[in-house]
Amino acid sequence: MPPPTKNCPVAVKNNHVQNIKPASFLDLRVLFFILQKAIIILSKLLAFSKKSYLCKLRNIFHQKMLSLILLSVFGITNLFLGFLRQRNIVLFASMAFTFITLVVSWLDMNGTLITFDASLNGGMMANDKLSTSFAFVMLLTALLIFPLSTHYLKDKEAQPAEYYAILMFSLVGALMMVSYKNLIMLFVGVEILSISMYVLTGSDKHNVKSNEAALKYFLMGSFATGILLFGMALLYGAVGAFTTEAIQTYVSANKVVDSPMAFLGFSMMLIGILFKISAAPFHFWTPDVYEGAPSLFTAFMSTIVKTAGIGATLKFVTLFGFIPLGASWYPAWYKGVAIVVILTLAIGNITAVYQSSFKRMLAYSGISHAGYLLMAVLALSPVSSVKAILFYTLAYSVATVAAFGGLMAVAGNKRKEEYAYFNGLGKTNPFLALSITISMLSLAGIPLTAGFFGKLFVFLSVFERGLYFLVVVAVLMAAVGVYYYFRVIIAMYMREGNNEPVQVSSGTIATLLIANILTIALGIAPDLWLNWFM
Amino acid sequence: MLFLTKIYQPSDYLPILIQFGLAVGFIVITMIATHALGPKRHSKVKDETWECGIEPVGDARTPISVKYFLIAILFVLFDVEVIFLYPWAVNFKHLGWFGFFEMITYLAFMLIGFYYIVKRNVLKWE
Amino acid sequence: MSDVIANIPVNYYVFFATALFCIGVVGVLTRRNSLIVFMSVEIMLNAVNVLFVAFSSYKSDPAGQVFVFFIMAVAAAEVAVGLAIIVMIYRNLRTVDTGALNHLKW
Repeated sequence: MPPPTKNCPVAVKNNHVQNIKPASFLDLRVLFFILQKAIIILSKLLAFSKKSYLCKLRNIFHQKMLSLILLSVFGITNLFLGFLRQRNIVLFASMAFTFITLVVSWLDMNGTLITFDASLNGGMMANDKLSTSFAFVMLLTALLIFPLSTHYLKDKEAQPAEYYAILMFSLVGALMMVSYKNLIMLFVGVEILSISMYVLTGSDKHNVKSNEAALKYFLMGSFATGILLFGMALLYGAVGAFTTEAIQTYVSANKVVDSPMAFLGFSMMLIGILFKISAAPFHFWTPDVYEGAPSLFTAFMSTIVKTAGIGATLKFVTLFGFIPLGASWYPAWYKGVAIVVILTLAIGNITAVYQSSFKRMLAYSGISHAGYLLMAVLALSPVSSVKAILFYTLAYSVATVAAFGGLMAVAGNKRKEEYAYFNGLGKTNPFLALSITISMLSLAGIPLTAGFFGKLFVFLSVFERGLYFLVVVAVLMAAVGVYYYFRVIIAMYMREGNNEPVQVSSGTIATLLIANILTIALGIAPDLWLNWFM
Repeated sequence: MLFLTKIYQPSDYLPILIQFGLAVGFIVITMIATHALGPKRHSKVKDETWECGIEPVGDARTPISVKYFLIAILFVLFDVEVIFLYPWAVNFKHLGWFGFFEMITYLAFMLIGFYYIVKRNVLKWE
Repeated sequence: MSDVIANIPVNYYVFFATALFCIGVVGVLTRRNSLIVFMSVEIMLNAVNVLFVAFSSYKSDPAGQVFVFFIMAVAAAEVAVGLAIIVMIYRNLRTVDTGALNHLKW
């Protein structure tokens, strides 16, 4: 047989090509099938959007945190507003956005706009009275801080849109920290807040101090996060769930001695959170970070981060020491926390005396105020200590914002914050001097300012619990505090300065005015705030 | 909760030990073998890091453009955020349309982030 | 074989995770290169992940695994920010040694 073998492969090839040619994709039947499916999907989609999906969406808005959603969306909007030529818009937009969120969360609490329904909630967050009060304090503080940032609008290097957006994202984290009902949300909130703050601390890119502060904050903060997480893991191993209800049930059903793993987890979590609020044995990073960070973000850190941390601590500690105290784990841990409180008060107040930099002094005073707040947490009485903490955080935040506003106006572009800058300020700029004086008096706890009632409520709540020794220590330390706060006042009114006029922007004036009016109003009529929100 | 149903004797770990020994032994034997068997010839060209191509110049640790770093960071972010798609993919049927829309929302946020990056000219190489 | 794996008591996982966590803690406390400190922090987080997955599997409760997803996502964000900070430090100081961080002092 001599067939032309060479032809054979060619034939095969031709066959192959012919087989492929009718493109199966354009087959009418396939097209029809796809069309049919698409119609079915579309109709389903429409039906769902009318009924269940919208319904579920509405439930989201009902059950949790319209303020969180608003803040996130507003933050993203802010990022894109940054592409506009006009930089002023960003500031006004972010202030308006924060104000809207503030109003929404306020309406939220009074129950007129949104009702909280626990049955609908997945158990992730609770929009209760306590959390909304904390949210109110933090959003109000943020509103006071924003106008201080006008110098960024003129600075070519700065990126104000990003700064405001990150601040708003960090507020989301802060709100999550005070309203969590599940440890996952606590962790995510802590991280959103911390990571935003790492970025903002290092935002002064060409300044070595700012870089160093950012790296220190980052390494210390992530280390603390690791400890917090390990505590959560151990707690999860013992309890078997992350919800606060499950933890509470577990604590009431088990004794401390029977559950060492849960107690270890609790302790490690507490250490992790105390790191974030810079309580005493875990405070090393605070002065450096506060000094190195740009003043605006230091103000944010020392007020909002602290408030959020204290809110989270209060909620968390309540799980392990709720009423009745006898049945809870309170006796097992209160001594440890009391030692932390005493250390925090002593180190914060005594070290603050020796500082030559005003900003570092404020950092140490922030540590000491964390001590007072922790004292109220330790008292853990359902009414008076919550009342004290809410009042104290508001008084402290408002006064601190005013102090930082004054500092930023006085120090200007100079990256050192010595006491000497305040010399003779009483003559060159009486308004600024007066407002710094009022904020210092409030931080020191002198009567007729908000700080006095803050300390009073804290001491009363601790007295109620019967921890008299703590009250004695705290009063002594408050007396030490008066010394270093008055140093600033003396520098302003008694010392001679170089009589250089200090320029104050209108935004700073507005913030200082509002902060001082609030400080004095709360100092004269503390019930104003308490009756509204308790 | 699973309880311990079997008590492990030390002999039960023998396979692991054998495996470990084999792994170490293989490495040791091959290293010795290559040194013993392979011929050794040294010359200038042989000792070069690269036998062909451009002559190596300077330190290997020169600073590279920060653009590479940005791309790498963005890759890490976008790569890891996909992790939230997996639980949805596993429970795709069960979560139904609600899950689908949640995922659309999530991806929309990611896309907004991506759009922001493009707008900031991070991905532009000039 | 899977039977053997399922029968490993949860204690072993706890010990393993604790050991890993301690390695991370020691690394953070003793190392001076900030990149290595950061890697030690990541080891700590991964120890936590192991622990969560182990507990989750032994309690047959998916919440632990969900948490691990969150940890991984957040850790990625942390890596992004942390590496950016370290690069920034390197560009200004030409070193990533934590001993060089002495510009802030009282």
